[in-house]
Amino acid sequence: MTCGRATLPQKSPTSRRIIPMQRQSTGYFFVLPALMVLGMLIAYPVAYTGLLSVTDNAGTYVGLENFRRILSARATASAFWNTIWWVFGSIVFQIVLGVLTAILLNQNFSGRAIVRSVTLVPWVVPGIVAATTWAWMLHTEFGIINYMLTAPGLIDEPVGWLTNGSTVMPVMIAINIWKMFPFVAIMVLAALQSIPEDLYEAARIDGASFWEEVWYVMLPQVRSVIVAVTLLLVIWALNHITIIYAITRGGPANRTLITPIQIFRTAFESVQFNQAAALSVIFFAVAIVIVFIYIRILASNPGETQ
Amino acid sequence: MSTKAQTLKRPGLPRPLIIIGSIVLVLVCLFPFWWMALSSVKSLRELYTIPPIWWPSMPTFDNYYKVLFESNIPRYFLNSIIISVGSTALALVLAIFASYGFARFDFRGKPLLQSLVLVGQLLPTAAIIVPLFITLRVLGLVNTYWGLILVYMIITLPLSVWMLTSYFKSIPVELDEAAIIDGASRLECLLRITLPLSLPGLASVTVYAFVTTWNEFIFALCFATDSSVKTLPIGLAEFSTEFNTDWGAVMAASVVMTLPIAILFLSMQRLFVGGLTAGATKG
Repeated sequence: MTCGRATLPQKSPTSRRIIPMQRQSTGYFFVLPALMVLGMLIAYPVAYTGLLSVTDNAGTYVGLENFRRILSARATASAFWNTIWWVFGSIVFQIVLGVLTAILLNQNFSGRAIVRSVTLVPWVVPGIVAATTWAWMLHTEFGIINYMLTAPGLIDEPVGWLTNGSTVMPVMIAINIWKMFPFVAIMVLAALQSIPEDLYEAARIDGASFWEEVWYVMLPQVRSVIVAVTLLLVIWALNHITIIYAITRGGPANRTLITPIQIFRTAFESVQFNQAAALSVIFFAVAIVIVFIYIRILASNPGETQ
Repeated sequence: MSTKAQTLKRPGLPRPLIIIGSIVLVLVCLFPFWWMALSSVKSLRELYTIPPIWWPSMPTFDNYYKVLFESNIPRYFLNSIIISVGSTALALVLAIFASYGFARFDFRGKPLLQSLVLVGQLLPTAAIIVPLFITLRVLGLVNTYWGLILVYMIITLPLSVWMLTSYFKSIPVELDEAAIIDGASRLECLLRITLPLSLPGLASVTVYAFVTTWNEFIFALCFATDSSVKTLPIGLAEFSTEFNTDWGAVMAASVVMTLPIAILFLSMQRLFVGGLTAGATKG
């Protein structure tokens, strides 16, 4: 566990005094049930995935055959690039829109509480509801979006947003942005509201304008929150495949096939559990590397996280 | 005095920008739901007209009738309630004990165990779906309530432990010490002192776990293939993947599915957001 040291959240100098009255090993009894459940549901399947990836259906050892097969499938490479697109496209806009929204909600104006509640709604509703509602709004013939674009003449004729290979991925990314930017906004807003007033006063004495305050006071102070949120967004973009799966199942012509969906379809539609396991191992390894790099970045700025 | 306050007045966004920004924000966030609700009370003819009708002349509840009396949705609704309540309760109990252990004791390997719990949150679920399915099949838990309730621990337990641990740590340890001097056991400390003081934290964890499991789609799709245990998200997907999507009924089912979560969330919003952001910034 090389990353264990980097993730210690408890190594703060202000660490709380612990009662020395009883055996500290009593703590094990408290944490044991949860750890057993998580071990059974996470550690065991992870180990089992590794085993599945190097065996065939009958359970005999086949070396790297499963990896060779799944990597030579034509869908795998395109799924990989689609995944990169999906994750980066989503996150850049989620962060930018989320931060802008947080700056807006950090202003003092009447009705702010209502606007803030409303902003959270897309994040809270079920992904499947978001997916079906957007699919209906994007309907080629009867969708409201095509109507709103054709009526004032912005586009000449209705676009088949979900059937056209060049528009379908951007549309999926847009829906994902809509679903998740409220989360960024609320986390950044919380960080903005904990900035000490002195910093603003110092900036004001220096005659800073509003945008200078944003750039030199707010953004540096919320940087660590943004880094942490980005990590969560990466993981969630890889986990929450509901939107794509419910609307297109990876189609048309694999244009929206991302790796998690490919794993799912390889396992449950083609019933190739071993190849799916091999793909899972690769996917898992890449995800762990990303998480590790991020945790290192987080740990390298200990002064900024409280 | 007043002039000083005047010169140091905090610069802000220009008012027109705030107003325009707020309006755009509200429209972007709410328009899909407004359109969903509107579509759910339109008749078939009104749904499929160009230009779209902004306000149905004769609102109809036929779609709701279809969803509530002629489909499996009520059954799925019940399944969703059972599974969400069950897994929320289980996650809460496990998280309370684990968080108390992490917050109040110092034992060997604690930092490592805490990191492992967190890694669980960061795990890509797609990577463990296959072995999880096989495990559940061996245990005979595919297509059972218990199967989904257990599996949902993966997505709710790690963050619940994280949030509650930071909440418990904010409660003065002296209270526990006083109780122990008075002869209370550790368990009594937890149940009589820490828990009653942690109600806001418990509420935010409850809302988080309930919302997450209510909304979950992929695990339910894999592990609940029989209509006796299918949850609402799967029911909704069934509606819309049939060859001829009945959009009116889909929108009505969406409303039925969104309402409980919207009511729960909006009523508990302050607690929920407070707990979430506290857990995240204190780390």
